[in-house]
Amino acid sequence: MEVLKKFEEAAKDPRAILDRYLREGKDVVLVAPVYTPEEIVHSFGMVPMGAWGADTQLNGSKKYFPAFICSIVQSIVELGMNGAYDGVKALIVPSLCDSLKVLGENWKYAVPDIPFIPMTYPQNRKPEYALEYTKAGYRRVISDLEKISGKGFDENALKVSIEVYNEHNRLMRETAEELRRHPEITAEERSAIYKSATFLRKEEHSALLKELLQELQAATPGREKIRIVTTGILADSPSLLQILDENGLQIVADDIAAESRQYKTDCVLEGDALTSLARKFSARDNCSVLYDVKKSRVEAIVDLAKKTDAGGVLMILTKFCDPEEFDYPLIRKACEKAGLPIVEIEVDRQMENYEQASTIIESFREMMEL
Amino acid sequence: MSTYVMGMDIGSTTSKGVILNEKREIVKTFLVHAGTGTSGPQQVREGLLKESGLEAEDILYTVATGYGRKTYEGADAQVSELSCHGKGTHFLFPEVRTVIDIGGQDAKVLKLDAQGRMSNFLMNDKCAAGTGRFLEVMANILQLQVSDLEKEAAKAEEALKISSTCTVFAESEVISQLASGADTPALVKGICRSVASRTAALARRIGVEEKVCMSGGVANNGGVRQALEEELGVAILYSPLAQLTGALGAALFAADKVGSKEES
Repeated sequence: MEVLKKFEEAAKDPRAILDRYLREGKDVVLVAPVYTPEEIVHSFGMVPMGAWGADTQLNGSKKYFPAFICSIVQSIVELGMNGAYDGVKALIVPSLCDSLKVLGENWKYAVPDIPFIPMTYPQNRKPEYALEYTKAGYRRVISDLEKISGKGFDENALKVSIEVYNEHNRLMRETAEELRRHPEITAEERSAIYKSATFLRKEEHSALLKELLQELQAATPGREKIRIVTTGILADSPSLLQILDENGLQIVADDIAAESRQYKTDCVLEGDALTSLARKFSARDNCSVLYDVKKSRVEAIVDLAKKTDAGGVLMILTKFCDPEEFDYPLIRKACEKAGLPIVEIEVDRQMENYEQASTIIESFREMMEL
Repeated sequence: MSTYVMGMDIGSTTSKGVILNEKREIVKTFLVHAGTGTSGPQQVREGLLKESGLEAEDILYTVATGYGRKTYEGADAQVSELSCHGKGTHFLFPEVRTVIDIGGQDAKVLKLDAQGRMSNFLMNDKCAAGTGRFLEVMANILQLQVSDLEKEAAKAEEALKISSTCTVFAESEVISQLASGADTPALVKGICRSVASRTAALARRIGVEEKVCMSGGVANNGGVRQALEEELGVAILYSPLAQLTGALGAALFAADKVGSKEES
């Protein structure tokens, strides 16, 4: 499918996309993981561009971080120091895990030319008072964006942006459903759809998704593969995805922070736009970086696997990601109790040797198949 | 006419091979202390054929496993070492439900069901702690052969504590102990305990269900086996074929393949 190439091109070369936007005279603002109020950036007429780091050798950033910290945040700083983000107006970092809090502080010294904007979220996001706390965080982001853009905040523009994002969410969910029926779409191709969504303007990405949906609906599904569900923060390593493809595994659903977790929750417009957006954050659930004493994410993964008829669960654990590491034993136990094979592979942004991962995935396949 | 199949286990430090006949009896085994990327796999194949008096054409199917399974060109199929150790162990000890396999550079724990199918597994982290490589490094510092470690450990009444998990840090710790006049057998016993303690932690993560068996090269070290029995509080079954279990499992997969071909 020709349209898949467009997703792949975008996923492989975010710098080319950034340069295009800069040539078009657009202001670009980087948005770090996991949940950043992109709608606010969009309402200023700026382009929010995902900054989830990249697989790269960490050198300069080591000056700012201990060795035992998540490589996603380290690689964001490394890319910033190497000029990969030159031309952007700011970086917004949400306060959703300890590593992200450290990222913002270190960014100010490591990449002084690109302003850092903190987005501070409440730990308890459900009570009514949490909405005020979240909105205070949004107002700080708005205030900084006003200074950077020289424009004022426009409530109506935010409402329009919220609709753009809701439409994109809907299309991403529809695409996920459709992809489940198409084993011929490889794990690498599937990943490119999600990865490109973080780089491209949502209007552009939605147009590509519509094109893809049309083609998928017209295509005959390929031969069945072994169905799996993935969970974790990131699953974009080409080497890892190739191993999944070589072993004939189809990702039928995911609980990946950089993938489906982003598109589960819409913003319901009720009253003023900022409160509605705060309610969207409050309504988010089933994620390792969102406080949940009941850990409902654990059973949600088992339910997702059952609903999608998956043969097993692959946990892609980002090294030194405390929130995911805390959830892993619970997920493992729940899967074992449900009779679902589960394996864990530890990955980081500097990983080059995938031999052990290959053996684990091969054994995982054999366990489901033999 | 007799039919034969071959299983090749190409590890990080050794290459092993097994030939089975149509009754799934072991015709010949062969082991070379040279692993993937060396002439080891070829030596094993040639050794097996020569000692069994068979020709290459007599081997109907070959399954390769182990670290070097993908680069070995003489196989008809590849199966992961986890599945092969599971299958080989079930053949040797059908009552085993937990297999602890410590190889040259990794450690694995497998759970087997009553049919010998792998129902769960865990591998160690990407480091040499708790593996055969750890024992090699320690034996080297003590100027001993790995095969001498069991004898040395048996001489000790007490074990000296090796507190570092990391091979490199543990190496420094052992050198410090030697410098302060530590007793070698007590040190060796401590080294075996260190490997056992790390492996026991891996086993506990997956759950230890009896009966338990050790496979892989390190299983030949009685010092580690005994330390692991003490750590886990269970008896550990052991076969003299422990180091060949992966190759045996691969040969059994090859036999299955030939069997299913004949049936069809």
